Amino acid sequence: MELERGKINNLHLTFLIIGFTFGSSVIISPGKGAGQDTWLAILAGLAEGLIFAWIFFTLAVKFPGKNIIQINEVVFGVFTGKVISLLYLWYFFHLGSLVLRNFGDFFTSLIYFQTPLVVIIGLTAILAASAVRNGIEVIARCSLVLVPITIFAFIFDTVFLLPETEITRLLPILELPPKDFLKSSHSAATFPFGETVAFLMITSSLNKNSISSMKKFALGGIIIAAIFFIMAAIRNAAVLGGTAEISLYPSYVAIQLIEVAEILSRLEVAVSFPIFIMGFLKISVLYYSAVVGSAQILGLRSYLPLVLPIGTIMVVLSITQFATAVENIIWATDIYPFYSLPFQLIFPLLALIAAIFKQSKAGAKKAGEAQ
Amino acid sequence: MKIFFLLAIFSGIVIFEAPGLIYRKYWKELIVFFLFLGFAFTISLLAVLGVPLPSPAKGIETVVNFIIKLITGK
Repeated sequence: MELERGKINNLHLTFLIIGFTFGSSVIISPGKGAGQDTWLAILAGLAEGLIFAWIFFTLAVKFPGKNIIQINEVVFGVFTGKVISLLYLWYFFHLGSLVLRNFGDFFTSLIYFQTPLVVIIGLTAILAASAVRNGIEVIARCSLVLVPITIFAFIFDTVFLLPETEITRLLPILELPPKDFLKSSHSAATFPFGETVAFLMITSSLNKNSISSMKKFALGGIIIAAIFFIMAAIRNAAVLGGTAEISLYPSYVAIQLIEVAEILSRLEVAVSFPIFIMGFLKISVLYYSAVVGSAQILGLRSYLPLVLPIGTIMVVLSITQFATAVENIIWATDIYPFYSLPFQLIFPLLALIAAIFKQSKAGAKKAGEAQ
Repeated sequence: MKIFFLLAIFSGIVIFEAPGLIYRKYWKELIVFFLFLGFAFTISLLAVLGVPLPSPAKGIETVVNFIIKLITGK
């Protein structure tokens, strides 16, 4: 029995990947720690992230109609596969709670000063829960509308920020030690590009005609998102200079500086809407992956009964696991790049190698029978 | 007051989800639903009462630091 009957096509996949990759990276710039070279760190991180993504999507093409839980079971055997799948479910669930917290912190520290964190996180989770209950098709179609809004808002801000930019602030290029640069570029690869591993839960819903060309569309989505990140990083560094590094939310601070003819100012509140909807997409995808995966591993006939309980646990976890917003950011820069490595590189790579090995073995057997 | 809100939210979830499951005779799903919801209720009650919950982020930090130490030998 199939848990998810909705089907999506490649265009949905591309838009969903753009939205997912934008996700929390629209508030916390990827590649932190590289100063004015952030854009280069993102570029290097993109190269690394594309390798990760190539592995996931090759795996997805090799096992059409199967999600990561089923792939693990085929490749690693029933028991080991289940253990790895449980780790993945934890990862999706935990990542969802981290993203919820990022958005909660962002809104409570910059816009809704008096509102308790739980209100913002709870409301976001309710919104995401309704999207998850409606299935992947609805989430994917949301992205078709929401991603263009964000891209439009981004272009709009960047044009209005042009008067504030000073390109010399990007100099000197590559002054920092290679070790620090690699650290930032690796952190950009794991957040956000490598997080697209969650799409291994979604590619199983692609319709039949889309599967063979999925890799092109998926990697294309990541590259499009990266182009916007690089533009945002150049813009932020050129507008803010050294302070871009200090600020927790550089894009937001940069947009605060927009002032056109003393009329068009304080645009950051308008921008917080596209920021929020990207977070909604990312949380929905992760939430959906965690819920559908849990239902599958428990052998349930429907994933709907798990949506609200798992969502509640996610909300509690996101509020209690960090005391402050700064603690969250420090954890995300110091620990997260290593914590996510098994999920983004090691397990998919092992699965891919094992799958190729199994396939060649099966192929040899078939050839032997034919002779 | 907070506990009252919590009870209202969780009974709301039960009223929303459980009747459909009983009607379709999805017993296994019903049991799993109550197990998850029971866990969710326990941790949210503890959080509301101000009991410090163990943070998984701290645990992950310890594991990651331990593995880095193993690899680099520092």
